[in-house]
Amino acid sequence: MSRRAASFILGFALALLVGGGLWWWLSGRLHRGFGASGQEAAGQEGERVAFNLYFPGAGGGLQAEARELQVTGAPKDRIRKLVDALLAGPQTKGLARPFPEDVALGSVQLSRDGVAYVDLRWPDHQDPPPGGSTEEIQRVYSIVDSVALNVPEAKQVALLWNGVQRETLSGHLDLTRPFVPDRAPAQAVPAASR
Amino acid sequence: MAGEAVAAPARWSEGGAILSGVKHRRIRTPLTFLFLLLPVLVAAQGERPQAPPAAAGAGARATVALEGREIPVPVTINPSGPMFGLVPLVDALGGKLTSDEAGESFTLRVADKDVVLGPGNAIITVGDAIISVSQPPAPGEGGLQVPVDFLRKTYGDLLGYAFEWHPETNRLTIAQRETREMAVMLDVVHLQGMTTVVLQFPEEPRYQIDRQQPGAIVVQMLADRLTPPSPPKVVQDPLVQGVTIEPQQVRIQLVAGTQAESYILQNPFRLVFDIHPTSAVEGPAAPSAPGAEAPGVRTIVIDPGHGGAETGAIGPGGVQEKDLTLQLARELEAKLSQHLSVRVVLTRNEDSILGLSDRTAIANQNKADLFVSIHLNSSLGSGAYGTETYFLSPQATDPRAERSAAAENAAPAGGAPPAAGDAAAQQDLQLILWDLAQAHHMAESQRFANMIQGELNQTLQLKDRGVKQAPFRVLVGATMPAVLVELGFLSNPDEEKKLQDPAYRDQLVEALSRAIGRYKALVENKPEQPSAGQPAAPPQAAPGRPAAPPSAPAAPPAKPPAKMGAVAVGAPLRGRPGGTGRPHRAAPTATSQRIGRPA
Repeated sequence: MSRRAASFILGFALALLVGGGLWWWLSGRLHRGFGASGQEAAGQEGERVAFNLYFPGAGGGLQAEARELQVTGAPKDRIRKLVDALLAGPQTKGLARPFPEDVALGSVQLSRDGVAYVDLRWPDHQDPPPGGSTEEIQRVYSIVDSVALNVPEAKQVALLWNGVQRETLSGHLDLTRPFVPDRAPAQAVPAASR
Repeated sequence: MAGEAVAAPARWSEGGAILSGVKHRRIRTPLTFLFLLLPVLVAAQGERPQAPPAAAGAGARATVALEGREIPVPVTINPSGPMFGLVPLVDALGGKLTSDEAGESFTLRVADKDVVLGPGNAIITVGDAIISVSQPPAPGEGGLQVPVDFLRKTYGDLLGYAFEWHPETNRLTIAQRETREMAVMLDVVHLQGMTTVVLQFPEEPRYQIDRQQPGAIVVQMLADRLTPPSPPKVVQDPLVQGVTIEPQQVRIQLVAGTQAESYILQNPFRLVFDIHPTSAVEGPAAPSAPGAEAPGVRTIVIDPGHGGAETGAIGPGGVQEKDLTLQLARELEAKLSQHLSVRVVLTRNEDSILGLSDRTAIANQNKADLFVSIHLNSSLGSGAYGTETYFLSPQATDPRAERSAAAENAAPAGGAPPAAGDAAAQQDLQLILWDLAQAHHMAESQRFANMIQGELNQTLQLKDRGVKQAPFRVLVGATMPAVLVELGFLSNPDEEKKLQDPAYRDQLVEALSRAIGRYKALVENKPEQPSAGQPAAPPQAAPGRPAAPPSAPAAPPAKPPAKMGAVAVGAPLRGRPGGTGRPHRAAPTATSQRIGRPA
């Protein structure tokens, strides 16, 4: 092969590489949308938006607490702020904190099909706090409802603990699948249908 | 040129050099393409699934040396170890091996204990103990084939045989282990009309209990010898005539009109017999023989929630859920054995951790007709108290499974097959995953849950928190009507205190026992039997049916419990993939409200 031909092939390969890189970058930009980027940039400081947070209440249920949170338009940011506020505890007397004080939000992922993966971390603890079924239902659904009833992009919520998807949180609810929200978890089947 | 082209793909590393030697452009271009394509093809070939290697040694025979005899036994040598045909070994060592019609569950009766095993499942039960073996039993020559540790944990532990596998000679030697001499201590206590006889051993003996002898219970030593206490203990008891301890057996002679129940306590090993006068009010007649097609409740699996490091709820006074659930389960077992002709199996009978899938696996393997998981509750926030009963909120998001579950729940009374149009759904039932098996029993689970809640309300006048649905992991995969009952809130100081009171617990257990009795009568189409000393609760309306008056016979079941084996029985209970990514969702029933329904 002549030197000229070799140079041509090398040049072609380089051009292919640069062109491919450019295409990858551009397609990513196009997929997200330039407008969205601008919105995110513009929304860095965010705005105050009204939400309902669902805290464990008296009698074993959940009770909504109205809050205004400073959020951007990005769904993941909203989920983070909502879970952070939930973990920080209620402001209404009579409502309870769903998790121990040092449980914190690890990470949030939002899949294209609308499943929000919420990873909770509890430093120095491998397992979640023990509890009965009602306690577990209150814990899980406080997160599920607070996220999925406030962020339309999150249709379902999967809960992870210390980065791992567990079989259950404390021996009851099946965590191997994502949950859809329920404003009144563990409501009794109406007597008429019994 | 043709020769050059043939030589081209000779060596990878030389590809460039070979190509550079190809002068003709028409040849060089396709060769370049081929060189680029070659690694792709090689990589694709590497990803192609390889056929699993056939089990080495399948169809081979091993020689089993037993007491001077040599017995040929089919063996399959797997990478994890040999698997032996069970039938010839049972013939040689004794015992009785039976299987259900579908061949999904086998029972080996050895030394008065039932060993329940199933193909494809590495968990077996030996009496009440749940044991994991190194390889799941598998169908093969010589019936079901089992690993050598299965033999050690059954024939070894129960009859004192020692098994040694010699791979180099393809030989399994079976020898009787040396007979152990063990001292036995005897204690007899009479309290509140019941006598408790306790035999304490330094370690678990190899024994069987013979109940066939009239008026006596005999604990027969199988491979151990007892050292009787010296001087002999003289027993003076209103219900026990005497206890004789000999090297080969312990004989407990009962007074006429008494009956006994036995159970085991560990650390140290104790064999306990509770002896009480025969109850004046007996339960319903004994169920028909196993294998009969008539619907019935013959085996009930009681699951004491949590255990071991999993404490469950902890009350403000420090009471742990796992301890109370075990206590309640044992008390319920005793009550059921006393009043109903049923076989009762506890998923755990000690403070040990047990996986949630294993609990339903035990129920499935034992062909249970009912599964009752006992729990105690706790809540965040104040003011929660009372009892509630759950059945599964199905996770049927697959439309086929939803249709199937809908067809099941909409099944007409009398157990008639689903209406036309549901045929497709019925067919789909055969396809749904094993963890949707409970969807097949939703209607019966709900009915049973209603009965439990009704009895708890009536007996204890507690706050009725109702019958509920939730995607509880322990109910997933149960191939029979299954409920989880919450018997009170440990987080409530008053209820925590009450739950420690044996009399209060007895009321709870009585209510559960009565609900089980009512459900059994309903399924078996018999008039409901009241428990001893308790009035019968009025029958509760089945879904869509008017309640029968208290004096009337129980209404026939709206639908007899579906037979196990349709989809899930026999399916692997371990090692299945965890999450499928499908969300928890509402059941297709129109009347239920449950966790997980769409907002």
